[in-house]
Amino acid sequence: MSEQKEKIVLDVAYQPQVRTNTDTRRLMLDVIIALMPALIWSIVQFGAPALLVVVSSVASAVFFEWGYRKLMKKSNTIGDLSAVVTGLLLAMTLPPTIAWWIPVVGTFFAIVVVKQLYGGIGKNFLNPALAGRAFLLASYALNMGSYAIPKALKGTVDGITMATPLSYMYGTSPMPSYLSLKAIFLGTIPGTIGEISALLLLIGGIYLIARKVISWRIPVAFIGTVAILTLICGHNGLDRGGWMLYNVLCGGVMLGAFFMATDYATSPVTLNGQLVYGVGCGIITVLIRYFGGFPEGVSYAILLMNLCSWAIDKAFHRHQFGVSKEDIAAEKAAKKAAKAAAKEAAK
Amino acid sequence: MNKILKLALILFMISAIVAGVLGVVNELTKDRIWEINNQKTIEAFALVLPADSYTEVDFDKVAYPAVDNVNKADGGEGYVVQETVSGAQGMITLVVGVDSDYRCSGISIIEHSETSGLGANAASSSEIGQNFRAQFIGEDENIALTKAGGNIDALAGATITSRAVTSAVATAIQVAKSVA
Amino acid sequence: MNIKKQFVEGLTTNNPVLVQQIGMCATMAITTTLFNGVGMGLSVLIILTCCNVVVSAIRKIIPDEIRLAIFVVVIAGFVTIVDLLLQAFIPALSEALGVFIPLIVVNCIIIGRAEAFCQKNPVGASFFDGIFQGLGYTCVLILMCVFREFFGSGRFGGGLIDVANGFRFTLDGTGSGIQIFPSDYGASILNLPFGGFITLGLLLAVMQYALKKSAKKKELAERAAAEAAALAEKEADE
Repeated sequence: MSEQKEKIVLDVAYQPQVRTNTDTRRLMLDVIIALMPALIWSIVQFGAPALLVVVSSVASAVFFEWGYRKLMKKSNTIGDLSAVVTGLLLAMTLPPTIAWWIPVVGTFFAIVVVKQLYGGIGKNFLNPALAGRAFLLASYALNMGSYAIPKALKGTVDGITMATPLSYMYGTSPMPSYLSLKAIFLGTIPGTIGEISALLLLIGGIYLIARKVISWRIPVAFIGTVAILTLICGHNGLDRGGWMLYNVLCGGVMLGAFFMATDYATSPVTLNGQLVYGVGCGIITVLIRYFGGFPEGVSYAILLMNLCSWAIDKAFHRHQFGVSKEDIAAEKAAKKAAKAAAKEAAK
Repeated sequence: MNKILKLALILFMISAIVAGVLGVVNELTKDRIWEINNQKTIEAFALVLPADSYTEVDFDKVAYPAVDNVNKADGGEGYVVQETVSGAQGMITLVVGVDSDYRCSGISIIEHSETSGLGANAASSSEIGQNFRAQFIGEDENIALTKAGGNIDALAGATITSRAVTSAVATAIQVAKSVA
Repeated sequence: MNIKKQFVEGLTTNNPVLVQQIGMCATMAITTTLFNGVGMGLSVLIILTCCNVVVSAIRKIIPDEIRLAIFVVVIAGFVTIVDLLLQAFIPALSEALGVFIPLIVVNCIIIGRAEAFCQKNPVGASFFDGIFQGLGYTCVLILMCVFREFFGSGRFGGGLIDVANGFRFTLDGTGSGIQIFPSDYGASILNLPFGGFITLGLLLAVMQYALKKSAKKKELAERAAAEAAALAEKEADE
């Protein structure tokens, strides 16, 4: 009995394990709090349409979670708030004026197909929100690519939609002056609901690290890799430092590094593994930005690394404390000998 | 040895019977298939450069690897070039008409596997597709997307497809010049 | 000969795609419109039935050592015949299915049935096996087509049904189908290869669920019957 119990614990995570009072609900609440500044800023900038997207996304995520569990006669899990976080994160990756029903389709895929069909929270193999975004991007590419003008730029820019900084960076036309580094850092630029203000996302991220909800390893490795690679590669003779900052602050890097790549179920648990995972996310992001068909590569980078995280964990799997490699080898040999002896005896 | 001979003989006989049946079916269908394929080609060609008939001409296959064939229009000046170029999702097969001034007289996309709703619009019979293809008429070999300083508006969300088609048209005009 | 049992097996309990899980490649590749699905399904059905009959008829003269080679020759022969006939008489279908018609040669359904069934069974049973297994395959294709077309572009019966000038069937693949909701609302990712994978995955899951459920039901019924019998026996003893 005790042996079996021990085995279950070992399946959950690599050692050492420490018991704390944190539960899923508390962690998810922290994530929601951390997302709030950037979210409120976006609603200020884009107004009611953005709020509608967020509300429809969160409400539908919770509804699908509740409905699926009810239909399958399983325990109700909406209390752990993970569905709220998924809905919130999905909304943050969508353009602010997208039709309200598109997030509903996205959360259906995220919650029902990616999360619940694989067994619910902790068993999903992809980040549900990002999988939902990828699904929507492939399905409604036109809607997913038109970005509203933020309040701060009304009057400066004509029309209803405008190009994002990233499309200027990797396009041929020069960057307009109103998309300065300062504007990008503070968040007076067009973009998805959750990505416009690097500053507020940074504050949220630091809050999560301070609360020990996430470790610094994945975000630092991710953002650092993007920074170093773009600093080395440069672009068309632009100022390298500025180019690097644009790459780090624009698009989904901040949102992805702090809130998406750090998802517990889909990132490695080993410490070195987390560094490798973060570096991998950074490399793929830069590769997609430089060579890919889409201007932004963060979501695909994280999804691809999600799929690798089990292998990374395997590669960096640590042995028990106080046990050397020789001990393990000896133990294995002893087990083998015992087995052979038992076989012999059975004969 | 005897056994091997026997096995070989049985396999040979069955193969021979199947081959015989196939020969009969082929004989019965080949005229019809040829007619259908010929009709298809003529229709596609007539769409981009109408002519009474077309004669295939030789071209430099090493210099223009994407070009499948070049056909001179009989009873009219110009060429029809069939090409297979790589698009966003797979290969795109298209025919390009080149008139006597070496300007594009029309394009028609025969086969593709581009993203539906985006790149697939290049081949669709919808208004978007027709407008997109109409832009190519009258362009010369310096054709380019507006992003690169030319006259062709890329399809929304399908820059790669648009670029592939545009460069295919440029290649077609070049190859037509090279065989003239 | 047990035709009813073969029928049930082909369509459900021993369905080639959903239970035997063979011939899945074409299943995912071509199920984009109902026209393709029906065309591919019927092509496989015809080829499978012909091959089954021939293999079963010559099963006694085929030496064991070269049976696979002979199966492949027979299958390749029928596939080529169907391919030529399609090119000549239904060119639209031949174009839409492209390389997948010639690829039926290596479709494991056909060689699988030849090896597993026709080798040991008489011509009549093999004939029905071909029809029912082919029907099972066609049904799966139709289900997938309907699902992908509906959710992918809001349409039903693409290529096969035309409603532009009154309802009619178009056997040349030109019908535009019935538009149920505007295609802008459809999740067009389902028209891409991803849609094939996810649709087949969901269908497999549903099938396994149903099979398990019915097996459980059967087991419960058997147990209840056994208990009742035991009880009756006991009572009789007393």
